[in-house]
Amino acid sequence: MLRASLREISAALKEGQVSPVELCQKCLALVKATKFLNAYITVAEDTALKQAKASEKRYRQGQRLGDLDGIPIAMKDNFSTMGIETTCASNMLKGYIPPYNATVVQKLLDQGAILVGKTNLDEFAMGSGSTDGAFGPVRNPWSYSQQYREKCVRNSSMQNEDCSWLITGGSSGGSAAAVSSFTCFAALGSDTGGSTRNPASLCGVVGLKPTYGVVSRHGLIPLVNSMDVPGILTRCVDDAATILGALGGHDPKDSTTVQDPFHPFHLPSMTDMNNLCIGIPKEYNAPGLSSETLATWSKAAILFEKAGAKVVEVSLPHTCYSIVCYHVLCAAEVASNMARFDGLEYGHRSSADKSTEALYAATRREGFNDVVRGRILSGNYFLLKQNYESYFIKAQKVRRLIASDFAKVFSSGVDVLLTPTTLGPAVPYTEFIKEDNRTRSTQDDLFTQAANMAGLPAINVPSALSERGLPIGLQFIGRAFCELQLLNVAKWFEEHVQFPAIQLQGIMDPVDAVTQEEKSASFP
Amino acid sequence: MWVRRVSALARAAFCSQSGSPAGLSSASSPREEGGCREKVTLELLDHLEHLALVDFRDQEGVERLQKAIEFADQLHSINTDGIQPMDSVLEDRCLYLREDKVTEGNFAEELLKNANQTVEEYFVAPPGNIPLPQLEDRDTFLQKKKPEAEDLP
Amino acid sequence: MAAPTVSRCRSWFQTGSFGVRNVAQVRWRKSLVGASTLRGSASKTTAEKNCDAPWTAVVGLEIHAQICSNSKLFSGSQVKFAAPPNSLVSFFDASLPGTLPVLNRRCVEAAVTTGLALNCTINKKSLFDRKHYFYADLPAGYQITQQRLPVAVNGSLSYSLCVGKNQNEMVSRTARIRQIQLEQDSGKSLHDDARGQTLVDLNRAGVGLMEVVMEPDMCCGEEAAAAVRELQLILQAIGSSQANMAEGQLRVDANISVHHPGQPYGVRTEVKNINSARFLAKAIDYEIQRQVNELENGGTILNETRAFDFRLGCTIAMRDKEGKQDYRFMPEPNLPPLILYDAKSLPTRTCHHQVVNIDQLREKIPDLPSVKRAKLVERYGIQPLHSFTLVNEDGLMEFFETVVTATQMNPRKVIGWILKDMLGYLKQHNLVVEESPVSPLLLAELLNLLESGMISSSAAKQVLEIMWNGEGKSPALIVKEKKLELIQDQNELEHICRAVMDSHQKEVAEIKKGNQKVLNKLIGQVQRTTGGRSDPVSVKQILEKQLSLQPRKKTP
Repeated sequence: MLRASLREISAALKEGQVSPVELCQKCLALVKATKFLNAYITVAEDTALKQAKASEKRYRQGQRLGDLDGIPIAMKDNFSTMGIETTCASNMLKGYIPPYNATVVQKLLDQGAILVGKTNLDEFAMGSGSTDGAFGPVRNPWSYSQQYREKCVRNSSMQNEDCSWLITGGSSGGSAAAVSSFTCFAALGSDTGGSTRNPASLCGVVGLKPTYGVVSRHGLIPLVNSMDVPGILTRCVDDAATILGALGGHDPKDSTTVQDPFHPFHLPSMTDMNNLCIGIPKEYNAPGLSSETLATWSKAAILFEKAGAKVVEVSLPHTCYSIVCYHVLCAAEVASNMARFDGLEYGHRSSADKSTEALYAATRREGFNDVVRGRILSGNYFLLKQNYESYFIKAQKVRRLIASDFAKVFSSGVDVLLTPTTLGPAVPYTEFIKEDNRTRSTQDDLFTQAANMAGLPAINVPSALSERGLPIGLQFIGRAFCELQLLNVAKWFEEHVQFPAIQLQGIMDPVDAVTQEEKSASFP
Repeated sequence: MWVRRVSALARAAFCSQSGSPAGLSSASSPREEGGCREKVTLELLDHLEHLALVDFRDQEGVERLQKAIEFADQLHSINTDGIQPMDSVLEDRCLYLREDKVTEGNFAEELLKNANQTVEEYFVAPPGNIPLPQLEDRDTFLQKKKPEAEDLP
Repeated sequence: MAAPTVSRCRSWFQTGSFGVRNVAQVRWRKSLVGASTLRGSASKTTAEKNCDAPWTAVVGLEIHAQICSNSKLFSGSQVKFAAPPNSLVSFFDASLPGTLPVLNRRCVEAAVTTGLALNCTINKKSLFDRKHYFYADLPAGYQITQQRLPVAVNGSLSYSLCVGKNQNEMVSRTARIRQIQLEQDSGKSLHDDARGQTLVDLNRAGVGLMEVVMEPDMCCGEEAAAAVRELQLILQAIGSSQANMAEGQLRVDANISVHHPGQPYGVRTEVKNINSARFLAKAIDYEIQRQVNELENGGTILNETRAFDFRLGCTIAMRDKEGKQDYRFMPEPNLPPLILYDAKSLPTRTCHHQVVNIDQLREKIPDLPSVKRAKLVERYGIQPLHSFTLVNEDGLMEFFETVVTATQMNPRKVIGWILKDMLGYLKQHNLVVEESPVSPLLLAELLNLLESGMISSSAAKQVLEIMWNGEGKSPALIVKEKKLELIQDQNELEHICRAVMDSHQKEVAEIKKGNQKVLNKLIGQVQRTTGGRSDPVSVKQILEKQLSLQPRKKTP
């Protein structure tokens, strides 16, 4: 049951085949059973059950709020949730309980969704592995999948390290793992440089980054205000569309949401590829790209071509600069956004009390990890009067070059771009931590970052399993505000690729066992 | 047809301008290195610690900054003549204006709840207008760097 | 240290033309009382001994005016002066993570209107920036302001000064305005030194401010005070700010430097947060003198921030500027550009709530103080100097106009009663016009009595004093009760005059000798005898007549 898609379970709820409380309890049980994944920082057991009971009442009275009523959903721990601790995986915010809900959280709750818990991430969303948070790293559920394990056994001649657990990617690793391991039917992440698509790729789930300005950021604790968007993680493209439908639209509390009217949509079951033009940016064939990913990418291109789409090679010449550009702009914004953490109004407060400055300095030293502090310092460097022109303004100019690359391509007849999402499948944790956070981010954000620069919508669709049984994802990038077209193409691709479901038997046994017992019980 | 193109790409150098993205982070020229290190003086580090109220905890912290600057220096090789800086992708959209109505307030209790220390209904801070102590008197890693100022790598 | 004596600025240019800087040479008389200024002379070098070399001071003001609006600049919490601590604070004002700014339309309108009233060019596109520094009353660690492209630029403020021996000449000056920008106010920190802590109240955090940045076109405290006063009047007239300095709605920072004419400008200091009109001129003049003294004693001026201690009457260094400040300005990423429209550029498909029309705002601007003053002079024939006082004093102009409408007395005479008597009383009792116990209609009644000849001028003053007790009695009633009517009976008057003459033979003889001045003494005596109830003109006539009845000794 938990393996169902959001649409399927929503229909089941509507039909009365399952009750919201039952569903919620099962999810919570699985969360407990998969605790070793460390996907959740906070499990909102009490509130979830309360919400489930309320939902059940509504169903009984025939007053269901919509498709999301009673659906368990998880949220990355950088979304403000009223009354529920929100930490951003940082010591700085341990114990911080926001007095308000982020707009996206409120919208989901208003639709009757059940908040299962807050998921783990890299501290303040800085990182590409979900390994650098105050609550420890998140483990990729695929580490325990039959597909991966079988391959491991076969290659038992390799060292044991190869079978050590794998990272989820980041920074929304917790959300990706939560969706991938069936503890919820959808999860919210955030995406600044690929933080939703990257873990989606490594965890074999759908990760959607909407156009900048479509979904409200009010309540999302920011990393880079000019690039952040809430991300949507689901098990299939249809589900992503459903969630997007609930979240999109102008928010008077967020001045960076566009005032254009937003219309939720349903994706048609079949799309005609004949009028479609797919662009393949040649610069995305980068050194470091795994041969398997390259092969998957090529196969996908052929698939589209065979279906009648026009597949052309395009050029985004400034692609290789997006990482440097991001590096500067991100650091500068981080330096600015983190200035509010001083211990006075909320969050961690040091005991140093000689002077206000000393208090601030001590609080920030104790509250932030090395990655955050490093970015604050380098960000301040780039913003210094003497450096502003040559670093910050320069990076802003490069940003325009990158954005106009996309504009040129899209205005030349290309509808959607097809690219890899990550360099390769998930790597073992022990290998990942050999490089430092910034280096890793530099490498891993390569394919995803540019879409944030330009504010374009992008989606990861799981495409194939690697030889070692791990997910390989491909990314589609669309025109601004053209999510409908983007998701249409993604859905078509998903249907043709038939990516296998993760096989987590052994972990899910307890839950499945319960299911068998309860099958006989009837829903009142 | 596409397969051919892809494999051709796989062989070709991919970025026409200045090298591979992954390679952008690798060793820079000695001249750049020297130039970067010239920029990162003790005075600068002290200045940054003051402005950011965040400290370089150890040598690694200092090196992190140096690497960040070196990495960012690659921007300078890009030609941006005649290009306007881009603040936001919404630069062509205009700002939403709110009506002048009172819609929020009376949250004193909720706000103070989250504060670690309060006095009655006030937030409380130590005495202000006292700047961070000078380098000599401050407990900072940079203090240990001072004697070797000339030997800075 | 005794406050230095300050000589008045003498300007080289009369009735300053717009756009021309008024440079005044200032000769600073050394305080003869303060020994400090003379102390150092013995150790000076020959060059520095040139104490009498003139100094020119340059003063530029940065004025922060709180916008008069219901809610704050970027959030929906209320703007109110006195309220329980932290009760007017939204989540955004407290900088809770995840909160975002949303711009208040009213604040934009206020800033645009102010820009128009100050002859500025309005930027149809303006941008917001973040200015970073750490302070307990700045929860976000940065202030949202407009540094790169503010809403209004290149304007001017015209103001006037009293000059001349009797301070009765008005001279006009102009100070250029560099820009007007929208920005957030900070919270308030209350220093509790006893317990070594700072209490932070964020009620004021996020209130909309207009910062008016002026070019350094002024030369002394007096000019600055006059300019600020005029700005206050303008802001109050257009309603964009109540500009009440006592309530912190108008705060002035002054940038001050001195140099010898013809030499480059000196190092400037910033005197911050002058919150009182009374101390504005004092603070500036003190700082100018301090700098002059410092330089003449061979010292240097540091580019620093100073505060004015009104109890000690001096400026003191505020912040330690070691490790220079760098605000690391950065565009505010959460606020797209602010676009303003005019009649020609109105967008077609936008909701009118989202449109700020510069032309519409311009039409709504009421009479500015300068216009009000001109109209007063034209309509009532009063002197320009008087029109300044009328407009300067809150409510006085309306008071005056009400009186003029209700009385037959010539406005030029009424003005005397308003400015000397009424205003005199008000100042003496520390009251504002609104609080006057004498209403304009009552005063008009009194003036009518005077005008109709029923009472004398001195009697009127007596009546006014009684009216001032605030019992609200009509002047006619008071006149009756106190028997202050002018004696109309000619016979009675003649009788009294004769009696006075009889008892003042010596004076009578003097007058007859030809000493006409002594006649006034007799008139005064009659006045006293009648208790002010005789009309001096009539008395004089009667006395002259009576005196001429006496036979004249023929001179040989």
